[in-house]
Amino acid sequence: MFSNRLRQTASRIAPRLHQKSSSSPSAAAIAKRWHGGPHVAADAPTITVTFLQPDETKKEVAARIGESFLQVAHRNDIDLEGACEGVCACSTCHLIFPMDVYDALEYPEEDEEDMLDMAFGLTESSRLGCQVLISEEMDGIMVEMPKATRNFYVDGHVPQPH
Amino acid sequence: MYRRIQQPLHLLASRISRHCPRQRIRPFTSRSRRALDDDSSSAAAWKIAIVGSGPSGCYTGKYLLKSDAMANSQIDVLDRLPTPYGLVRNGVAPDHPEVKSVHHDFDSLFMKDGNEDNGQNLLNFYGNVTVGTDISLEELREIYDVVVLAYGCESVRPYDFIQNSKLEGILSAREFVSWYNGHVDYEWVGPLVEKALKRGSGQQQVVVIGHGNVALDCARILAKTREELDPTDIAARSLNIIDQQNRREISVIGRRGHVQAAFTIKEARELTRLDDANFVVRKDELDMGRTEASKQEINAARPRKRMEKLLTDAAAATSAMKNNTDDDDSQKKAAEVHLRFLLNPTSFETKDGSSLSHVTCERTRLVGDAGSQSAEGTGEMETIEAQLALVSIGYKGVAIPGTEEWYDDKRGILKNTHGLIEGSKEDLGGLYVSGWLKRGPSGIIGTNITDAKDTVASILHALKSSSPVDPKEGWKSIDETLKEKGINPVNWDGYRRIDAEERSPSRKRSELQPREKICSREEQLKAAFSS
Ligand SMILES: Cc1cc2nc3c(=O)[nH]c(=O)nc-3n(C[C@H](O)[C@H](O)[C@H](O)COP(=O)(O)OP(=O)(O)OC[C@H]3O[C@@H](n4cnc5c(N)ncnc54)[C@H](O)[C@@H]3O)c2cc1C
Repeated sequence: MFSNRLRQTASRIAPRLHQKSSSSPSAAAIAKRWHGGPHVAADAPTITVTFLQPDETKKEVAARIGESFLQVAHRNDIDLEGACEGVCACSTCHLIFPMDVYDALEYPEEDEEDMLDMAFGLTESSRLGCQVLISEEMDGIMVEMPKATRNFYVDGHVPQPH
Repeated sequence: MYRRIQQPLHLLASRISRHCPRQRIRPFTSRSRRALDDDSSSAAAWKIAIVGSGPSGCYTGKYLLKSDAMANSQIDVLDRLPTPYGLVRNGVAPDHPEVKSVHHDFDSLFMKDGNEDNGQNLLNFYGNVTVGTDISLEELREIYDVVVLAYGCESVRPYDFIQNSKLEGILSAREFVSWYNGHVDYEWVGPLVEKALKRGSGQQQVVVIGHGNVALDCARILAKTREELDPTDIAARSLNIIDQQNRREISVIGRRGHVQAAFTIKEARELTRLDDANFVVRKDELDMGRTEASKQEINAARPRKRMEKLLTDAAAATSAMKNNTDDDDSQKKAAEVHLRFLLNPTSFETKDGSSLSHVTCERTRLVGDAGSQSAEGTGEMETIEAQLALVSIGYKGVAIPGTEEWYDDKRGILKNTHGLIEGSKEDLGGLYVSGWLKRGPSGIIGTNITDAKDTVASILHALKSSSPVDPKEGWKSIDETLKEKGINPVNWDGYRRIDAEERSPSRKRSELQPREKICSREEQLKAAFSS
């Protein structure tokens, strides 16, 4: 019951991005790479969020309130893919949120859950970066990018022959 | 492994420039100037070829470009088709435009007009070049320091274990998919599909064999109305044949139960949202599939739990629908998609001696432990009438000439260690593999990202301890080599001309249609070389 209330409050502070796939963009839009997500002015107020990258390094960035996590990552050269350009049709912007932040967010919609089911390294607090928007309350949080399997060949581990 | 003779960068550059178009000379960007001045940190001028421009080739290129070690390098992507992006163009269903939009990301990797002088390293496209036929792998390895094979799966797993698999009206899903996506080599499929569908008088019946996403794609495309398909990039040649004229019943069958099915929930859910088609799931087949082991499988993974719910709900909806429509024909929809489980197709049958009339299946039951249950025949047979059968049991990689010694026929891959093909000839450029050819035909587009990063890590690791190949006496660039062979590659600008023509309003059915594909190689080449 308590957590339910928390969710309701959270839905006010952390609006979800509702975006459906758009039809194919014009040639001009192609030339200038197009990213799905709300338009947030460059001088919008910012908070600080940290991305824990797959190689375990941390990157602290200024995130504009109202942007999606995917947009924040792209603006800051963080390797979060977003192959479908932020329309909830792939799972390449999968992020793992701290449990308390996850709990405070509005529930993901069915379509997002469907895509998460295909995500590599799914956890209890996984979300798609294109579907979660930055809100003031998130200041200081750290989100984790799922770890890829390591290339032991390069990292010096001798693989077992098979 | 690599020959270690250092060649001054500017010499190499002037050599290349004699034969290459302007766009391919890179050492004069500000970035490489710096590299030249500061020779300890100078990035070498590697020459890398990527064979195949599908997601794995593009992601391999993308992550190579991101490495500082590649600042002065030339990375060429070769494809046997005049158009890039592999299955993004020729596999992904036309009604999944949001999946196809990954091509914008790929577009930005390639060399284009006005993009040459910003110091940004880009990929060069060489379309219309078949490696293994037009140019041999050995020749490529003479030209390049590194060759990455990313040519995907050009074939399918054989299905002649089903009797009479050569009857008219039986196609592989790969053939069907390539055809509706306008692949230039599959025009011949159209008349066969048309003929088969026409044989279904009153009701057209199609059996799709297999329980992966490709099988569901085929079923969904066949179940959609003209209105649903019209705004997609489905080729006009196919839309006119697929267009519903009669009632259509599509049965998707698989040997095992719903818990073992390989399709994912997004694709299954789409079948519940069709405009004019009912999705039919039988409760008894779900029950048969719920063995103790299956229950463990469901509980062990969230995607399985969610799928279980979706299909249970669909079965309940099926029963409700049946009660409503049994005595009211007007409520019937144009198409029905039956998702069937625990049926093993044993033979295709014919009544007229040449074309398919029905598929005989054996009912199976699940045996074995959770995670490794298999289907065992029960002896009970069922026949499903069908004029068209699409076999969707998996794409399969092939060995192009020169790769036979590393080919694993069972898996259809080239044997490798993290993308490195070991034991390849020492005096030639390094050989790597990426994508479906490296790990087999599974996973989504995103899976090729981690896969490509893995191969790129292996390449960069190997290059750290070597230097670019010193061109031998008589060394020829890729452009010279192709020219001598009389092969006219489609470069990036050529592809953009094809792309522009496909998008031109005069070709399209409506403004909503992203493009009307050019479906013949000759016409594509005509567009590419027009100026
Ligand atoms: C029908 C279908 C639907 C799919 N739908 C989806 C989807 O909705 N969402 C999703 O995420 N994933 C989807 N996938 C999966 C996705 O397409 C693959 O993961 C991906 O395309 C594999 O990339 P690849 O580069 O290894 O192979 P490919 O995409 O097949 O690329 C291989 C390239 O190599 C070229 N080539 C072949 N032989 C030669 C040669 N001898 N010389 C030069 N070039 C050559 C080919 O022309 C092709 O361009 C689908 C796959 C299929 C088959």
